[in-house]
Amino acid sequence: MHQRTVPCQGYFAPQKIEEALEILSGYGKEIKIIAGGTDLLIQYYDRLYEVGSWLDLKNILELKEIKIHQNQMEIGAMVTHAQLEKSEDIKKYFPILSKAAADIGSPQIRNRGTIGGNIVNASPAGDLLAPLMAYGAQFKLLSIKGEKIVSAEDFFLGPKKTILEPAQLLTRIILPLPSERTYGCWIKIGKRKALIIATITLALVVEMDEDNKTVKEVRTCLGSVAPTPIEIKEIRKMMVGQNFKQLDFNQLGQIVEDKISPIDDIRGTREYRKDVAKNIVINALEEIDSARTGRSHK
Amino acid sequence: MSKLIIELTINGKKRKVETTASTRLLDLLRDDLHLTGTKEGCGKGECGACTVIMDGELVASCLVLAPQADGAVITTIEGIGGGNDLDPIQEAFIETGAVQCGFCTPGMILAAKKLLEENPHPDEEEIKRGISGNLCRCTGYQKIFDAIKLAADRLSSRNGGKGEENV
Repeated sequence: MHQRTVPCQGYFAPQKIEEALEILSGYGKEIKIIAGGTDLLIQYYDRLYEVGSWLDLKNILELKEIKIHQNQMEIGAMVTHAQLEKSEDIKKYFPILSKAAADIGSPQIRNRGTIGGNIVNASPAGDLLAPLMAYGAQFKLLSIKGEKIVSAEDFFLGPKKTILEPAQLLTRIILPLPSERTYGCWIKIGKRKALIIATITLALVVEMDEDNKTVKEVRTCLGSVAPTPIEIKEIRKMMVGQNFKQLDFNQLGQIVEDKISPIDDIRGTREYRKDVAKNIVINALEEIDSARTGRSHK
Repeated sequence: MSKLIIELTINGKKRKVETTASTRLLDLLRDDLHLTGTKEGCGKGECGACTVIMDGELVASCLVLAPQADGAVITTIEGIGGGNDLDPIQEAFIETGAVQCGFCTPGMILAAKKLLEENPHPDEEEIKRGISGNLCRCTGYQKIFDAIKLAADRLSSRNGGKGEENV
């Protein structure tokens, strides 16, 4: 495939991040950054003509890389859902991120849609967001003024709202490599398998101590139950330092149910979401328990 | 919006096309190149009627801007088979009655093509996943599954049981 920059007023496809940042700083809000386009072109479906200029990131090859660097993985913002689904490294270290990517849309959507797009689009139902939060992801934001690293938790402000400034570009997603005794579970509830916006999502990641019995760290993150993806921190307080066998899964599920305040919408009522949240937390804990006791290593 | 010129390879032929930054690949194919086998259903990536193969990947051409396809290699339904010489997948669709109104068929055939290239012997679950981005409102899908299974059998026997080669 040849890579070239289309010379055109109104459409930029630079090959270097630095060029992209220059263009962004010049145009600010007047330019739309396009990655896979699977959200953006729907948003602008009948008013594409309103977009004065496009900044297409497709030619910036370093944004398409998945790399392991020291104790962390760096995923370029242009990595597609299909890449996340198929990457052996992602499957090995971040299996529920791979599973969540496999549950997105359809083959057509997964081949185009990107991790960076899923993040900056900041839908409360964005499928990758709860898993990224559960794995402790950080995002690297660049502008001509410099770089900023921000945690997933601090990045999202509300539905479709983030701290990203018009001149900033999300370039990389940084994930600390988990220990071998890390277990995860991903559950997406929706009305059909393909092309569904989630009614609720759960990403639960538990890291065990060396004895494989004591909980060292846990993150319980949910999507579609609040204006942003959220972590239920009370679960951490209840689980860390405890013997996994002695946990009361029902009680933990109840805490999640009590702590979330979802809305009624076309995809489900508040009450339904609260009930389901409790049940999927219990299911996830059971699944992690059997993974933990089934094998010493994941 | 100012004009720009892009170059793409469509069904094996290099094409140079004048377009705009806000033209969708779907419109470029249908309106500018008159390749009307690619259909517009929902325009939002949900129905798969506009499916084409771009750089080896199944994509919804309604969600691709024409300049994003600059330099790309694209196969549309017009590039499958040739005249009266049908692709085995097309033959199988006809034989099993997998075509009713026909609107989803170009997208379905391209999705099936891509599926069988990657997985020459898909089971029913894999077929369902392979065409999960393509809606059909007539057939109830069963005949489409049958067509893809038939095509898989024919392709693999044609390839000495391996089925790996692209036909």
